[in-house]
Amino acid sequence: MTASQVRRVVWVHGDSLSVTDPALSACPDAPALFVFDRPFLQAVPVAFPRLAFMYQGVRDLAAHRPGPTELRVGAVPDELAAFAAAHHAAELHVTRNFTPDFARIVDGLRAARPDLRIIVHEPERLTSFNGPLRRFFGFWKKVEREVLHGEPAPDFPQRGHR
Amino acid sequence: MTDALRLPPDLPPNLPDDQLPRVLGEALTGLYTGEPRLPARAGGRTAGLAALHAWTGEGYAGRNFLSGNVSRLSMYLRHGMLGLREVAAHARAVMRGRERDEFLRQLTWAEFYRLVLRQEGARVLGNLEDPKYPARWTDTLPDDVRGASTGLPCADAWVTHLIRDGWLHNHERLWFAAYLVHWRGVDWRAGYALFREHLLDGDIANNALSWQWVASTFSNKPYFMNQENIDRYSGGRWCRTCRAACPFRASYGELETQLFGTQP
Ligand SMILES: Cc1cc2nc3c(=O)[nH]c(=O)nc-3n(C[C@H](O)[C@H](O)[C@H](O)COP(=O)(O)OP(=O)(O)OC[C@H]3O[C@@H](n4cnc5c(N)ncnc54)[C@H](O)[C@@H]3O)c2cc1C
Repeated sequence: MTASQVRRVVWVHGDSLSVTDPALSACPDAPALFVFDRPFLQAVPVAFPRLAFMYQGVRDLAAHRPGPTELRVGAVPDELAAFAAAHHAAELHVTRNFTPDFARIVDGLRAARPDLRIIVHEPERLTSFNGPLRRFFGFWKKVEREVLHGEPAPDFPQRGHR
Repeated sequence: MTDALRLPPDLPPNLPDDQLPRVLGEALTGLYTGEPRLPARAGGRTAGLAALHAWTGEGYAGRNFLSGNVSRLSMYLRHGMLGLREVAAHARAVMRGRERDEFLRQLTWAEFYRLVLRQEGARVLGNLEDPKYPARWTDTLPDDVRGASTGLPCADAWVTHLIRDGWLHNHERLWFAAYLVHWRGVDWRAGYALFREHLLDGDIANNALSWQWVASTFSNKPYFMNQENIDRYSGGRWCRTCRAACPFRASYGELETQLFGTQP
């Protein structure tokens, strides 16, 4: 089966509320889902304006992409599994974020739907630095050129660090 | 395709702003604090791009003053509505000299904290290092702090701004964090939770790690300020008319001894 024949859905989360999100860009026509995480919001106080701000983000991308965009309220892995099933999707695309919740949700989804291929796109980075970190000052010395001039220093190691 | 679309969406993705508090408020009943109301700044990439393009960065050298021209783009960056790269590219195109370099350096803090989160994972929610002074912190946020009724006009304003606008100037965040952790002896996680509840830009990385930077569990020394500093960078906003017994009115050396027990 070619890529264009595979049915795909996209999971849009709170760190990727833009049409430029790598997962959304990879699948412009696929149905996309944003879930307000009920168990999380029940456990953690969040004031309403923040949730409205996120809603406005989903609304904006729904208005700017060719594929359909939906919103639900519920447990994220369950909602994603149901959404993928309703669209007969074989693949779910998402852009990684570094929160512990992300890993937990992807694991939950893998357990619920072992047949669903989960394609994780890498988020955009400001720098290409990949070494260990401790203090900002040391980090800044390594990435200063790249950030100020927009290009990695000619001798910048692409993998690892000095 | 029609048979595939069996699940009706919980929420339409096209509610206009005037219906948003009511309809979203009902759909999310029990899942938020406070009144359903629109955010102080509109969300979405279109709004974020408009804010980015309107921002020239002129006067960013005065960023430490509350009146300074800072971008207020953090809520768009936090939710991926804007990317760090395009904000950096905009700064390189429209800003000049030291101001441009300073802005790009500040932006790099956001990348740094994201990468620290990638490296440390859930550990960023606990002390990454021991505090650099003998700290005995209580866990709970005092009611007078949450209720903006400490009697200190500045501290009460910081909480009021936080709740009303969902955004605080970096210097107000620093002052509030230092007040809570060092003067009130409260564990930084209680402040982190208050910020997470109200900030439009609140996230795990910047929020937890900035609190840890102030608390000295992710830095070499605690951050603190004195009254002179607040007066100067706020343009005298609170101090000029303040009649409260000011806990910040002392030299840095005196405060250091008082708060951390170390000799200046
Ligand atoms: C206790 C405390 C908690 C904080 N919590 C958060 C948070 O939850 N989310 C958040 O985005 N920022 C947080 N910050 C960092 C900083 O205060 C805000 O990013 C900044 O005030 C946002 O305003 P701005 O967009 O006008 O910044 P500008 O000065 O215009 O800077 C542009 C961008 O650079 C980044 N940036 C600037 N300063 C910092 C900084 N000191 N640390 C990290 N990134 C920075 C932000 O992405 C910001 O939007 C916190 C700071 C403190 C002291």
